[in-house]
Amino acid sequence: MHTATKAPFKDRAKAALADRTLKLAIDRTTGTAETKRAAAVANFPEFQAARDRGRAIKDHVIANLGHYLEMFEKNATASGAQVHWAVDDAEARAIVTRICLDAGAKIVTRSKSMLGEEIGLPHALADAGIERVETDLAEHIIQLAGEPPSHIIWPAMHRTREQVADLFREGHNPPPEAEDPATMVQSARRILREKFLGADVGISGANFLVADTGATCTVTNEGNAELTTTPPRVHIVTAGVEKIVPSTAHAFALLRLLVRSATGGEMTQYTTFHCGPKRAGDADGPEEMHIVLVDNGRTRMLADEFREMLRCIRCGACMNHCVVYRQIGGHAYGGTYPGPMGSVLTPVLDGLAASRDLPNACTMNGRCAEVCPVEIPIPTLLRAWRTRSWRERLEPGSLRGGLGLWAWAARRPAIYRLGSRIGVRVLRLFGKGGWISHMPLAGGWTGHRDLPRPPGRTFMEEYRARQKGTRK
Amino acid sequence: MSARDTILAAIRAASPANDSGAIAAEAAALLRDPVRPALAAPALPKAFEVKASALGTTFDHVADMGAVPQAVRRYLDGHGLPPSLALQPAPALAALDWTGIDTHPALAPNEPAALGLALWGIAESGSLVIHSGPETPILLSFLPLHHIVVLHRDNLLAWLEDYAGKLAAQAIPRNAILITGPSGTTDIEGSYVRGAHGPGFVHVIMIDGG
Ligand code: SF4
Repeated sequence: MHTATKAPFKDRAKAALADRTLKLAIDRTTGTAETKRAAAVANFPEFQAARDRGRAIKDHVIANLGHYLEMFEKNATASGAQVHWAVDDAEARAIVTRICLDAGAKIVTRSKSMLGEEIGLPHALADAGIERVETDLAEHIIQLAGEPPSHIIWPAMHRTREQVADLFREGHNPPPEAEDPATMVQSARRILREKFLGADVGISGANFLVADTGATCTVTNEGNAELTTTPPRVHIVTAGVEKIVPSTAHAFALLRLLVRSATGGEMTQYTTFHCGPKRAGDADGPEEMHIVLVDNGRTRMLADEFREMLRCIRCGACMNHCVVYRQIGGHAYGGTYPGPMGSVLTPVLDGLAASRDLPNACTMNGRCAEVCPVEIPIPTLLRAWRTRSWRERLEPGSLRGGLGLWAWAARRPAIYRLGSRIGVRVLRLFGKGGWISHMPLAGGWTGHRDLPRPPGRTFMEEYRARQKGTRK
Repeated sequence: MSARDTILAAIRAASPANDSGAIAAEAAALLRDPVRPALAAPALPKAFEVKASALGTTFDHVADMGAVPQAVRRYLDGHGLPPSLALQPAPALAALDWTGIDTHPALAPNEPAALGLALWGIAESGSLVIHSGPETPILLSFLPLHHIVVLHRDNLLAWLEDYAGKLAAQAIPRNAILITGPSGTTDIEGSYVRGAHGPGFVHVIMIDGG
């Protein structure tokens, strides 16, 4: 749902490509992320073995999802938490909104959760007349900007520090005294401190759901999650059903992969297990804890060829290393989840007809699968969407016609060779030096990069000529 | 059909249920020979200190609990802070001689400094462990700008799995928190800024002796 009215993907991508500031912002963060991840992996020589283990843990959970969800429900309930189940985003929204309204909530603090975005929680709370306060710094930035996240780890990655300074100058009273990141962070700390302590409900996501204890686990660097979940009377967790792990030790095995792959750190500053509401005698904590387990397409993935995608631990490495993401940023994708993993998930969530351009907007260079800490074969899954799109006849007539023509020629070698001989010679007419920078009908390519000017002859012509030469 | 039944039925249809004994055996096998990074030093105190210091945590060493108030005073003076402190309501801390330092149990929203006890330290990652309880308000570790933590060197564990074992052996608290360095953020252009919502300073007073 959510992303209201969408321009076609190609238009969004075109607009993003034309935005120089956006490119600068993306380069600054993804560049750092790539370097730091590489260093973290190099410092952990057993990383590949850890990956194999992480992948095996996720596969084990996916194969026994029902068993672990029931175990989690039993233990979470025993800890005093209330467990709710939601088949889709609408049900999840309704459950969370109802809990907030029942609690008489006026102010709700939220700690970053992509699942919350996926189910459209921000809009639902606004519709219910509840003030929503995003407490993660990046979420705070995009709340001021009125934007959705553009990255799953750094939601405000598309904003340069200069742009953040503009937003804070308008949105903070008093405005920050200087525009360096440290001063701006202090300003957000001051502004949000009052909100934390005055909130009626705190909403968080979960990085893991621990089946054998019934605890939910969040990992953060800022400390906003604990300030979100401790003072309010009610704590709500929304989590996808695939977040389950058998035990705390299994969560740690995945955590080692998650943090290194996400930020290049070894451990987030805060790794917190939440197990039920405040106990008798506890010094602080919420009176009620609710956990909303959300399906929203996940059981469908379990039954089809996208099952492996359920291994995803939402680290963001695939987008940091994606040549397409690094050119267009997260918003151009138009779904909740951007980049390579988003291009697999968005067709599940929004339907293939509305998102068939995403699996196509991939160079298949395989970087995403190389860095994925749980070895999800993202290019293979994207190809599966392409195949399905073809089979369901979602591709436009021009593409189907063009490919049909190519297939016809490809089965007739003489015609094919003639065609390619004419093709390379025509292409050469547009080139200067080794490159073609303008050509009719090819603006979509040449607008952003040059096309190599082909040599004078086709491969087959060259091949024949050389064969003749060697035979002499 | 309830949402719960719909979801569980869809899962069963996609992956048939296995015997729970077999599932438990497989889960246990996945924890055998854990794959983990080497410790930063052979001895736990050193390994812990190397990891925690790299993240900005500072250290002081004292021989016993009785020396904690002086160490606290040293820290406050060193940072130009007044001799005032929010104190975790734990008997082990209340029993100390706090002459010259104003200790209080309540936390102000902008508490400058607080002192608490860590249950364990984890050498692999330089993490401090805090469990919520009647004597442990969680906000004590999050509201102050300076978080001072007492840790006994006998309570150092090597790996995250060792802590998971300790946790599994007791009644699970409402909150179990691993604190790994001061709060920070990389949300503006990926560059690290220390001190976001939580404490900007974490200082460990390590009890080296009895
Ligand atoms: S697909 Fe892999 S790399 Fe991408 S977010 Fe998920 S786990 Fe990380």
